[in-house]
Amino acid sequence: MSMALSMASEGSVVKVKDIVSGVMMKKRLGELGLYEGTRVVVFKNDVCGPVILKVLDSKIVVGRGQAMKIMVE
Amino acid sequence: MSHKLRVALSGNPNVGKTTLFNALTGAHQHVGNWPGKTVERKEGQVKYKEHDIEVVDLPGTYSLTAYSIEEIVARDYVVDDAPDVVVHVVDACNIERNLYLCTQLLELGANVVVALNMVKMAEKKGISVDEAKMSHFLGVPVVKIEANKKAGIYELLDVVVDAAHKRKEAKLPVTYGSEIEGHASEIEVMLDKIEVPSRYSVKWLAIKLLENDSQVVDKVRKIVGGKDVVDEAGRKRDHLLEVFGEDVDCSVADARYGFIGGVVRESVVKEEVNRLSTSESIDKVVMHRVLGIPIFLAVMWMMFQVTFSAGAPFMELIDFLVGLVSDGAGAFIDGAGWPMWVNSLVVDGVISGIGAVIIFVPNIFLLFMMIAIMEDSGYMARAAFIMDKVMHKVGLHGKSFIPMIIGFGCNVPAIMATRTLENEKDRILTMLINPFMSCSARLPVYVLFVGAFFSSYQGTIIFLIYLFGVFVAILSGMLFKRTMFRGLSSPLVMELPPYRWPAVKGILIHTSERSWLFVKKAGTIIFAIVVVIWVLASMPWGVEYASQESFIGQIGGVIAPVFTPCGFGDWQSAVALLFGFAAKEVVVGTFGTLYGVSDAGLSEVITGHFTPLSAAAFVVMVLLYVPCMAVVAAIRRETNSWKWPLFVVVYTCVVGWVCAVIVYQGGLLLGFV
Repeated sequence: MSMALSMASEGSVVKVKDIVSGVMMKKRLGELGLYEGTRVVVFKNDVCGPVILKVLDSKIVVGRGQAMKIMVE
Repeated sequence: MSHKLRVALSGNPNVGKTTLFNALTGAHQHVGNWPGKTVERKEGQVKYKEHDIEVVDLPGTYSLTAYSIEEIVARDYVVDDAPDVVVHVVDACNIERNLYLCTQLLELGANVVVALNMVKMAEKKGISVDEAKMSHFLGVPVVKIEANKKAGIYELLDVVVDAAHKRKEAKLPVTYGSEIEGHASEIEVMLDKIEVPSRYSVKWLAIKLLENDSQVVDKVRKIVGGKDVVDEAGRKRDHLLEVFGEDVDCSVADARYGFIGGVVRESVVKEEVNRLSTSESIDKVVMHRVLGIPIFLAVMWMMFQVTFSAGAPFMELIDFLVGLVSDGAGAFIDGAGWPMWVNSLVVDGVISGIGAVIIFVPNIFLLFMMIAIMEDSGYMARAAFIMDKVMHKVGLHGKSFIPMIIGFGCNVPAIMATRTLENEKDRILTMLINPFMSCSARLPVYVLFVGAFFSSYQGTIIFLIYLFGVFVAILSGMLFKRTMFRGLSSPLVMELPPYRWPAVKGILIHTSERSWLFVKKAGTIIFAIVVVIWVLASMPWGVEYASQESFIGQIGGVIAPVFTPCGFGDWQSAVALLFGFAAKEVVVGTFGTLYGVSDAGLSEVITGHFTPLSAAAFVVMVLLYVPCMAVVAAIRRETNSWKWPLFVVVYTCVVGWVCAVIVYQGGLLLGFV
């Protein structure tokens, strides 16, 4: 089942399905290791505010708006 | 015979690149700017086994595309200046992400040596690396180092020297798949027919053209016949988009990660460690939904307490020394029989003016040190996360908060730090509100006034002044966002570096550099202004020094009525504010010169000229009005127009004046004096 990253619960492991945003943003996320097919751990996801992900071996902060555009399963 | 070598350090942010740079070059370094750019350029020298090695610290980037100034600077250096060796610093805890940049360096045809840093930390996390295998698969030497303990530095230098001598034709280990490679080689053939400067790898250019890299496209288009190549690349790009259903950039990135994945599988063993790392446990607390902001405020409050309490004894010492110099110089001039005016210039003008400013060096040193510790420990990025919600109200994201904190030290580097923001609107908005972040140059003024009137709560009151600045910044931001900067800001994406103990040496180097800049300013700009004030205060001939009949008294008298509603309509304050435009710390120096007393005596004299209420209004004015010429110049440089700097000058003056009036008149109404 796919859903927006912003909906994923804290502590869950999800796989990135699709990134619905501009080429530039896709590229930036890619440089940080977040591209289609990556598995990420949702390290922190409060009701509002940015989401923190563990990607590869680092932690990445992604704004809530952006997190809504990343589809995961 | 000694050989000259040029070595560049490259790497992601937070991988210990600067620590390695400091370990290599020690004190022999030089900080400047890249030609024509405002990106900081660090260079240093190291002598090793008959080699004079010049080390250049490239800006920390994640990639070498043409999207940010830092990336272009790094890329141009590697291509145009062709360093003998590029040392790519890799954080052993995060090899995959770090190697992404490495593949791009290899594509550029750089002579790469990989320095694997923080191996011990990685081993604790259950990551072990076989450097021989990694070297084999990457096709470049790999050396393990521990930059903060200076371990492995000589081994690294050996490998670097060795690599510089047998520079071989770089072969690109990454393959992009037959479809892309096929089209790329067709473009390569076309590129071979036109006159491409030889320093570029044709293969790299071909891939970059397919990726539609703006800078490369522009460069090729300028070559005779280049336009056809660009057009053809555009067609192939469209074709590939049809074939893969995604942009070439994505396929290329996939290929890079695929290659890296292979290298890592062969050479790195990762044990699953499931316990929470220390870093994560700390994060659970400091980034807590409810506790985050109180903890952040507590950290800031502590920062100011330390700045003042630890600075006090040093300030007394400097005060004592300035007193000695002042007495000594006075006695010497009298003894030598020089005219009275020389004595007045030296003692009243120069020594009391500069003395009043130099006394704040301990405070400023400590404040910069606290900010550097916050940055290096990794807490700064957390602060950005915590403040993201608040900043969203302004229409900015948490990353804009980092330049604002740096603004507490000095607005000039803060304005430069806005470069990390991708969106132009976000950048300008952050620059516009940054001057309200109270910089260390304003500190002397607060210390003087708060010390004179409210000495028992000094740390707390100064903390409140800073908070008030933040408050005005946020309010202004909201106003701008709803008027001039409508529309979405770019999304927040940033890395949270792991917590680290800051390296003492790095902190000290960084802090002394910044403090030295302050001292230099005191010695140049402030010196010049102090002399100008002295001349204006002594002219026309025969007037009493710094009296109302002097030129400066007359100038002040003209401006002063403007500040009557604020409660400080005397001419000395007007003159101090006027000269404060050059640099805020001059305000104190000006009072020193105008009242003809140095630091210690100044606070007594001030209590005679101000009431607690008018002092509060004056402090608010100093907090909010134009930071200084240097900031105006920085905004001009960064926005490349006069519109925004002029706007900042007018806007901040108006806001400062209005707030000062509100404080004074409001205070009167409430019955304060």
